[in-house]
Amino acid sequence: MTAYGIAAVRQEVLALPPLDPYPGTVAYLDTETTGLTGGAGTYVFAAAIATPLECGLRVAQFFLPEPGMESPFLQALHDEVVAADGVATFNGGSFDLPVLRTRWVMARMPGEFTHAAHVDLLTLVRALYRHRLETCTLRYVEQRVLGYERDDPLPSALVPDAYFDYLRGGSQDILEAALEHNRLDVISLVHLHSRLLRRLQGADVDMDADDWLALGRHRWRRGARADGWRALRNATAFATGEAAATAGLLLTRRLIRKGSITSADRLLDWLESSSRDDIRVSVARARLLEWRRRDPERALSVVEDAQRRMPEAAPELEQRRARLVRKVSSRSGDGLRRNRDRRQRDVGQIQLEAPILEGTA
Amino acid sequence: MSSATPRFDPTEFSGEITLDHVIPATAADFVPLPADLRPELVAALAGRGVERLYSHQAEAYAAVRRGRHLVVVTPTASGKTLCYNLPVLQRLLENPDKRALYVYPTKALAQDQLAELGALKSGLPIEVRVDTYDGDTPPGRRTAIREGGHVVMTNPDMLHTGLLPHHTRWRRLFSSLEFVVIDELHTYRGLFGSQVANVIRRLKRICNFYGSNPTFICASATIRNPLELAKRLLEEDNIALVDRSGAPRGERRLVFYNPPLLNRDLGVRRSSMLEARRIAAPWIRSGVQTIVFCRSRLQVEVMLSYLRQDLDPRLDSSRRVRGYRAGYLPLHRREIEAGLRNGDITGVVSTNALELGIDIGSLQCAVLVGYPGTIASTWQQLGRAGRRSGSVGVFVASSSPLDQFIVRHPEYFLGTDPEEGLIDPDNLLLLAAHLQAGLFELPFLDDERLGGADVQELLRLFEEDGSATRSAGRWFWSRQAFPAEEVHLRRILADNVVIIDTSQPRPQVIGEMDQFTAPVLLHEEAVYLHEGAQYHVDRLDWDEKKAYVRPVDVDYYTDALASVTVQVLDTFDGPHGDPLTRSHGEVKITSLASIFKKIRFHTHENIGAGPIHLPEQTLHTTGYWITVDEGLWRTLGRETLEAGLQGMAHSLRHVASLRLMCDPRDLGSVAEVRSITTQLPTVTVYEVYAGGVGFAARLYELHRELLDDAAALVRDCPCAAGCPSCVGPLHLVEGAKDACLRLLSASALPV
Repeated sequence: MTAYGIAAVRQEVLALPPLDPYPGTVAYLDTETTGLTGGAGTYVFAAAIATPLECGLRVAQFFLPEPGMESPFLQALHDEVVAADGVATFNGGSFDLPVLRTRWVMARMPGEFTHAAHVDLLTLVRALYRHRLETCTLRYVEQRVLGYERDDPLPSALVPDAYFDYLRGGSQDILEAALEHNRLDVISLVHLHSRLLRRLQGADVDMDADDWLALGRHRWRRGARADGWRALRNATAFATGEAAATAGLLLTRRLIRKGSITSADRLLDWLESSSRDDIRVSVARARLLEWRRRDPERALSVVEDAQRRMPEAAPELEQRRARLVRKVSSRSGDGLRRNRDRRQRDVGQIQLEAPILEGTA
Repeated sequence: MSSATPRFDPTEFSGEITLDHVIPATAADFVPLPADLRPELVAALAGRGVERLYSHQAEAYAAVRRGRHLVVVTPTASGKTLCYNLPVLQRLLENPDKRALYVYPTKALAQDQLAELGALKSGLPIEVRVDTYDGDTPPGRRTAIREGGHVVMTNPDMLHTGLLPHHTRWRRLFSSLEFVVIDELHTYRGLFGSQVANVIRRLKRICNFYGSNPTFICASATIRNPLELAKRLLEEDNIALVDRSGAPRGERRLVFYNPPLLNRDLGVRRSSMLEARRIAAPWIRSGVQTIVFCRSRLQVEVMLSYLRQDLDPRLDSSRRVRGYRAGYLPLHRREIEAGLRNGDITGVVSTNALELGIDIGSLQCAVLVGYPGTIASTWQQLGRAGRRSGSVGVFVASSSPLDQFIVRHPEYFLGTDPEEGLIDPDNLLLLAAHLQAGLFELPFLDDERLGGADVQELLRLFEEDGSATRSAGRWFWSRQAFPAEEVHLRRILADNVVIIDTSQPRPQVIGEMDQFTAPVLLHEEAVYLHEGAQYHVDRLDWDEKKAYVRPVDVDYYTDALASVTVQVLDTFDGPHGDPLTRSHGEVKITSLASIFKKIRFHTHENIGAGPIHLPEQTLHTTGYWITVDEGLWRTLGRETLEAGLQGMAHSLRHVASLRLMCDPRDLGSVAEVRSITTQLPTVTVYEVYAGGVGFAARLYELHRELLDDAAALVRDCPCAAGCPSCVGPLHLVEGAKDACLRLLSASALPV
């Protein structure tokens, strides 16, 4: 019962092994709509909200029996949403929540459709799993990330028509299938979030270099630099492969930005010894030696070494090599000595960072 | 800039001067600034050099302040935009929470007005956010415009598919909407106007939902019925009309020039392009700022090269003479405008892009190559020459029937404006389409109308086909589709045939044609004329609705023979009159194109033919038809009668398009020696848009005027026996012109 009349709601509590990590009172929300285009004529006709309890999972389902009864439907839904400390959706940032805000206005409800802090699981999936997934539909994510294939009672594309059929006095069974589809979606969201949280904490098992790289980038973008650094370091520690090298190069760039030139140099040296055939590493190292350390001789030997190791990339490096040769021949011994001194000072300062690297894999 | 009065001596031209008229200067009618105008606004106006108003600006301001809707009808360059900017800015100063929506027919025009209003508002102490919102608006700026834009400038198409269906995002705008400005009102006529009228109906529903009730301010070029058009478009009664301009005009000379006949039989005259060149080139050479208006982009390019050749080679001709057409970037346009102001540029060649109020200042001479299609446009183009005294405007006629009618009947042009903007928002197809869009936007109450139209029956129909559902005393949209996207405001059907020019490295769409007409003009091997250029149709893919063409230069044209039959489904009124009767009603037109002929220009010899294999087309529309009394046609032979009827059909269609301000292609006409419905010789003029947009009923009312105009067109044509300029391409049937005239003037006889 709401202030606007009776709303069609059903609730159940499902037994569920304790979630680890436990997300808190989060409302996992999914809506079923009469179209995918948005706009004032797209209605929400069903919604499900799953909320974890200590002993399991409470699932509330809301249904709009006919379009003219939107107010109690939205009120009941909103009551359930605001009771939670957070809201989680799959693509809700650009679909479910804007559509609900539109419905709120259309039904002449007071104020705005408010809710607690929102996390869009699709955004997280994209950030953390993109490299593993060709598409990021919920169905595909379930298969590939959660490892189960759902026996879907009704494909998403048929859901709007199930409702329209029902309104025209059609089958109740198909509508039930649509509602079941909705219910299974939110249960999936709970599991998915749990999995994503483990991944965010770095506590997920069998993460490879690509996974750590994705996590590191994501955490860094979100401003969690310490976490980002840790994850990139873990990715680098895999030593071989493109992702490890990419992560290592990102770390190098950050070291250089901080002014830790020697550490960057050591890291590149280490990367080059492990990723023997990644030209990006050799180029980065040569640039660092040439421009940051003013050491064209070593830069030249890095370039020549790379050309020997990767004959197919040799032409690409040729211009750099030619320039370095010119620089070396015009260099005086004084300059070289000065550089060497500075390098030795640097080494003393940031020795600390090397062991972290080696210790991880 | 030269201050010499431009010379135009008719004796130097071998054609005919049909009008040489001097319009005396009128003094400005100034009035003081309104007493209630906010001091901030007074100061901002002073900053722009405005210390008093023209009388029409003050009248407009006063009417809006009294809460009336408004139509302002004033000539080009009379300070029309201030008529709406003034009350809008005043209101925003009083209450910065209020909002205004400006609707312009094109994106380019909105851009120009953005700059105009920007200059005025920059002198104000409050922040007035003015933005254009159209397909080019970057997504990143859209949210800010939705939330904070005080004045949002858009076009009807964007309103239709962008704003209205997503109105909850525009809640801020719609709930505080105080003014809706509709500029260039006269462009909202015919099909486009009927569509926009329905968009306005939907807009008003949304405003009502958010509790606002905006004042509509329209501005129009001179037409016969601005108030009537506004009443129909807005469905409002309390509309004030301000149509007396207080802006000054210099003395103007107006000349109509008909190039000399080259072939009397065919009605072929010397090229209007070449004659216009001879008129404009000496002016440009002597530094008189001149604008030449052409009908197409192609003509603009050709005229540009002519005029540049004619300049002294020492002068930097490509800088002195510039092209100016739609599609030019704003920066480029600003540069041309600046060049005109400081006198670096003496010649501008333009399409009608300029006609729509874009500010290029005033020039001394204007030359119109061909009739722009409406008197309103003609005045707008001629108006480009003229705030200073001693300006000259010359209209150079081409051989087309419309041009010939206008040039030979200057009194039609100068008299009380005969043109009217007609719309029919209740055309069933349009109404149904916009009802779906409206239903998507907001449920309909059980007794609700869409504007003036009762739509309950349509809603019940929608319920049957599953588009609508009834619940709690309201109708709801119940399909997945987004209905506004299925309706294109500037055409009626989605399945027009698209014309693609394949001669370019990247094939270009150069136009489209309705499915009904396409078999006759776009069949394979047809020579299709587009903006004065010939194209050969290489392939017509009927299933995909695409015609692939390439430009050619051949000495023949093609003429498809289609057997067209008219079946009257319902007679709304008629038959009345004798010996010519008039009727109008619902008709079904069936057309089957079977063969085409290739006909050589000038000699009209038949140089080939071919079959057309395309399905029969039917069109349900409205039409107006004339039957010929038995006594009248018995005296003519069958062949002469047929030629006479065809001449009637051709001439009626053209003069009808003049009165209705539509393109002649918006109307079709058929001559039948024996109609299956009337059993009499019958001429039918019908609307090419399914269901019609109100033209047929008006033609029925204008029956007498149409017959008179058509008779004048044929009678005054200097050809001997009928030519394409009067009775149409009849391949010289003996006595066609006489028969046509006899038929047209039959009803003028005392009955």
